[in-house]
Amino acid sequence: MPVTTEPLRSADRVDALLELREVGVSFRTSAGDLAVTRGVSFRIARGERIGLVGESGCGKTVTGLAIMRLLAADSARISGQVLFEGRDLVGLSAAQMRALRGREIAMIFQEPMSALDPVFTIGHQIGQAYRSHFAVSRAEARERAVQALAQVGIALPSRRHDDYPHQLSGGMRQRVMIAMALICEPKLLIADEPTTALDVTVQAQITDLLRELSERSGTALLFITHDLGVVAETCTRMVTMYAGEVVEDAPVDAVLDRPRHPYTSGLLRSLPRLTPRRAPLGFIPGRVPGAAEMPPGCRFLPRCGHGMAGCDQPQALRVLARTPSDEPAGERRVRCWRADALQLPGSVNP
Amino acid sequence: MSPIVEARELRILFPTQDGRATVKAVDGVNLQVMAGETFGVIGESGSGKTTLGRALVSLIKPSAGQVLHAGVDLARVSSAELRLRRREHQIVFQDPNAALNPRLSILDSVVEPLQIAGSGSAESRQAAALAALSRVGLAREYASRYPHQLSGGQKQRVNIARVLTLRPKLIVCDEVVAALDVSIRGDILNLFADLQRELGLTYVFITHDLSVVSHISDRIAVMYLGRLLELGPTDELSDRPLHPYTQALLSAEPVPLPAALRTARRIVLEGEIPSPVDPPSGCRFRTRCPHARPRCSDESPAWRELRPAHWVACHFATPEGPPAVTEALQAQARTSLEMT
Repeated sequence: MPVTTEPLRSADRVDALLELREVGVSFRTSAGDLAVTRGVSFRIARGERIGLVGESGCGKTVTGLAIMRLLAADSARISGQVLFEGRDLVGLSAAQMRALRGREIAMIFQEPMSALDPVFTIGHQIGQAYRSHFAVSRAEARERAVQALAQVGIALPSRRHDDYPHQLSGGMRQRVMIAMALICEPKLLIADEPTTALDVTVQAQITDLLRELSERSGTALLFITHDLGVVAETCTRMVTMYAGEVVEDAPVDAVLDRPRHPYTSGLLRSLPRLTPRRAPLGFIPGRVPGAAEMPPGCRFLPRCGHGMAGCDQPQALRVLARTPSDEPAGERRVRCWRADALQLPGSVNP
Repeated sequence: MSPIVEARELRILFPTQDGRATVKAVDGVNLQVMAGETFGVIGESGSGKTTLGRALVSLIKPSAGQVLHAGVDLARVSSAELRLRRREHQIVFQDPNAALNPRLSILDSVVEPLQIAGSGSAESRQAAALAALSRVGLAREYASRYPHQLSGGQKQRVNIARVLTLRPKLIVCDEVVAALDVSIRGDILNLFADLQRELGLTYVFITHDLSVVSHISDRIAVMYLGRLLELGPTDELSDRPLHPYTQALLSAEPVPLPAALRTARRIVLEGEIPSPVDPPSGCRFRTRCPHARPRCSDESPAWRELRPAHWVACHFATPEGPPAVTEALQAQARTSLEMT
């Protein structure tokens, strides 16, 4: 049964760089097709920084990979539309996608070591990313790579150019990945948990760098993470996913202050930072249902403290009708029919 | 009151893989954990916190120095006595999956420690295991299941039940919630707190997560490259840190608050933690410290109690706090204050 997804009111005004329309990903298994996401719809404006959050298994990484068409074509099926500057990426040929990847949309991952080739210098790999889209000489590619290394804050870039990945620390490797991703000046960077493997002091360096580069170059950012603190400090909007669906899509400060979906609120209340020391911590009872055992109605219902008759119906992602005076109207969508009625605690008001 | 566990000048060295150099994982740590407290250890990867935790429950022998359990050096007792005494000091690990044998039922896993300890009859062991499972909030029906049928949080409950059967006094918790989803971490941390209240347990809580350690601990030790840089009561250390590293660590933690409510100015540290094979001379932190001066490379800072029960290893820290901030930092702090 199709479930409605309403567009944000700003959708008419804002020129979207990327728009996902009812995107669903399913995997072919021996037990038949298994849908891992469904009806995923959100937009990224030019230069906007979106945090895509949720817990493991919610479908955020799969959504990132689907945009890039990096899911194995023989086992994964993408439905819906992924519109990049109006062009649907789902139908593009492999060659068309290759021309676009790295040039228009780039992606970085959690573990930079496994994304780098150990037998080539980092400068060579960065230059290669440039040469695969622009016909330039090796010398010019080298020059570009050195510039890119300098831009991501690597000291002595012309010397570092000839280093191999194993000679660098984890934070430096992630800087190299960012340099490689941004060398062709893409319009969108998808960053999948880029700081999860890093220590907190290094994480701060990398998130600051990503925000600065995005602000300076106008590159839009899709920041996939489970860390709401990182989203608060890096992004302008937050899209929350649960069990393969978008459950809330809102400006970041507004959603932190007043989440309108019980799952978003539950996530925020689970953070120890927001609970007085030694007081019992919040948590969400139960566990995420498996892809094969999804509840027919609201997927969060089995874990929700606000469930009532009506919640067993499929929920639409609707624009919030009533918004507080200090929040822009029509800028928030919630997949909960009670969203207008519920008063939920956020990170500010317990 | 004698400490339940104590490290004295503890050093743990490992040869590198090629055997040509030495990793100084723990390099001169002194600490005392008192009965009934939660002692937090915070550090980044490579700080030596996991090695320290394993040494505290005698899973690793000290290369130098001592680990004393209620005053007894376990490196000096017979293996029979060690087996008996170490029941009192247990450890729970980060990965709840890897800690359980996939081919044993949950009940068999929980009974196993008692079998190894050789205590009681088979019936009494089974009864103790079932009691432990119920204590950690797992219904009777889980006893006959296998690890793959449980969620990560449930598996971590099983690991807690396993150590409870031995009636330990001290449990070292090494990143016990790091592998769990955010929404259930609170549930497990609440369980640890409940067990402590009921059973009078002592915890050494090792983590890289500042928000977790400061929520649960009475005292916090900050570890860096094999040494303690600071140790103090949780509120003191979190609100008025003495060491520049602690200060930077606190400010680096991303806070999930709207922009208007995030006041603290972030101190971004340069670079990353150096290799423990060849740590910097003098103060271990000096290569990343914004206040480093020549003395910091010449001389290891003394361990000083600058405020009551609040210790620090920094030449230039004063009871007022870390070394005086530079004018640039002060200006930054002013602007962020004006903005709020």
